[in-house]
Amino acid sequence: MLGTYLPILLVVLIAIIFGLVALTFSSLIGPKKKTALKLSPYESGCAPVGTARERFSIKFYLIAMLFILFDIEAVFLYPWAILYKKLGVFGLVEMGVFVVILFVGYIYVWKKGALEWE
Amino acid sequence: MEQIIFYILAAVAVIGTVLAISEKHPVHAILYLVTSLFAVAVVFYLLMAPLVAVFEVILYAGAIMVLFLFVIMMLDLGHPEKGFSPHWREWLPALLLSLVSIASLVMVIVSRHSQLAVPAAQSIPIREVSRRLFQGHGVAVELISLQLLFALVGALYLGKQQASSPGLPPSSAPERVSGSEEKSP
Amino acid sequence: MGIEILGLPMMYYIAMVAKVLVAFLFVLLTVAYATYAERKIIGHMQVRLGPMRTGWHGLLQPIADGLKLFFKEEIIPSQASTFAFLIAPVIALVPAFMTFAVIPFGGVIEVAGYKIPLQVASYIDVASGKVYDVNVGVLYILAMSSLGVYGIVLAGWASNSKYSLMGGLRASAQLISYELSAGLAIVSVFMLSQTLSLNEIVNQQSSFNGLGWYIFKQPLAAFLFFICSIAEINRTPFDLPEAETELVSGFCTEYSSMKYAMFFMAEYANMITVCALTTTLFLGGWNGPFATVFPLLGLVYFVAKVYFLIFFCMWIRATLPRYRYDQLMHLGWKVLLPISLVNIVVTGIIGYFIK
Repeated sequence: MLGTYLPILLVVLIAIIFGLVALTFSSLIGPKKKTALKLSPYESGCAPVGTARERFSIKFYLIAMLFILFDIEAVFLYPWAILYKKLGVFGLVEMGVFVVILFVGYIYVWKKGALEWE
Repeated sequence: MEQIIFYILAAVAVIGTVLAISEKHPVHAILYLVTSLFAVAVVFYLLMAPLVAVFEVILYAGAIMVLFLFVIMMLDLGHPEKGFSPHWREWLPALLLSLVSIASLVMVIVSRHSQLAVPAAQSIPIREVSRRLFQGHGVAVELISLQLLFALVGALYLGKQQASSPGLPPSSAPERVSGSEEKSP
Repeated sequence: MGIEILGLPMMYYIAMVAKVLVAFLFVLLTVAYATYAERKIIGHMQVRLGPMRTGWHGLLQPIADGLKLFFKEEIIPSQASTFAFLIAPVIALVPAFMTFAVIPFGGVIEVAGYKIPLQVASYIDVASGKVYDVNVGVLYILAMSSLGVYGIVLAGWASNSKYSLMGGLRASAQLISYELSAGLAIVSVFMLSQTLSLNEIVNQQSSFNGLGWYIFKQPLAAFLFFICSIAEINRTPFDLPEAETELVSGFCTEYSSMKYAMFFMAEYANMITVCALTTTLFLGGWNGPFATVFPLLGLVYFVAKVYFLIFFCMWIRATLPRYRYDQLMHLGWKVLLPISLVNIVVTGIIGYFIK
């Protein structure tokens, strides 16, 4: 086990160091002539109106929720997939029922119009 | 070596969680929570449970936390830095409950130590995990699928309600999902 | 060679550091020259020349670009949340580099009497000669790519600019939608391989000099996976988050200098990852004629296949127009998701009858 995860830790370390060093150096080297206008958010050259921290569409909440649910389904499919030849008919039917139940939910969500973007 | 890595990761997880609770800015709190979950995932890997480790990252850090982030951004909490901290009386129940759980943890550790029966962690092949899950707990798997269906319908109705009357925050729907997940390997 | 640290021979550590550094440099160089190749290839496809001034046929262009970005002024917008704004590019970059650790890019080579498997996160048991790698390799890559969403959504949120926020939100919604279909598409590969280890998946595709590749057994899954991956890394025709006609530059509108470069690097590193993963899962990895006899030839095959897929991505960019956002979500949720589910069911039934 040690032999397989040690290189990953090394890669993480190098990637983080690389990122931080690049950030620090460029902020040290670059010019610093800041003006209030330069630091204001970009809005096509006009003066910024209001704030960006506004409520946004509920659609994104729904998408994230559906993503979690189907992700859990996928998570159950992975261990099943690597063993399904050994599990035989029982495994096939078991997973078939699992998928069909969720597919019913998927069709329900579709019919209710949750997947529509206007 | 593994013990050193374990203690570093455990420290990261605990500090991350404490910061996630004490941080007033919700988005920063989520960042700390993700760090903590990630550290816990690596601890699972060290404990020879790679499947659990990967699922922890995919589901908790990669999916549920994204939902939390979306919800927090959606609610637009304004300037939470200026918010008030809860009164000590509101802390009291939480403090009491955490004391109980810490006390039981200590008791478990002490009783384990006297028995001296901590077997060395053994790597279980992934196929063995899935064989046990799908042959031994077939009904549970189907129940989880039903639970996911309920959650799907529930999420849909929360989302629908939201569209007609903006202002109500979506309640904690993911709880049911995370609860069902804990039964897996 | 007799010294051992923590149960592993000294040579293991030397090989590990060497492999990590070589892989890292390979990715960095490929990222740099992929930007050049993209401009050159698309230029020639549109009957232009592309960059010509810096160096012979513009060969020094990536270095010039990099230096320019390095010396640019770093701007942190006054309304931005500084901490999240600074940390977002690093969060985007680190998972992009982490994925390379598990991809096998060659067979086992022998250096100074010690066998080294050409895969960063692996080691060889000297006694049995068996190569061990991360036994959940593919899921590790999926986990890392699911962390990539934080860089984007944080960048959009922390900038506190309307374009950035919209870009970040769109990008993250797109990313999670297509990640789902990609994750379901590769389930059918696991059903064939019966393992999650990338090393074994490559070994199983070594038969019949190319005819054992999974792209021939699972063409639909390969197609789905590649489409979803292109969408996941926000490339044309799915580059909605950076649709400059409506969102300026998406989530990195407010970013400048090295921080902007890091998002750029993360995007190209992700493209290389996706191409390498597609090669490993469907195109037989480093397999090819005589690859088992001459392990270095396997390395050449692997790089050639990855570069071909990168070229393919650029070709797509030069050919196809961009999707509209509702069309994009429609494609992901109503077309690709059901097809990948049906593909799993069909594979399961056929696989049961064929054995």
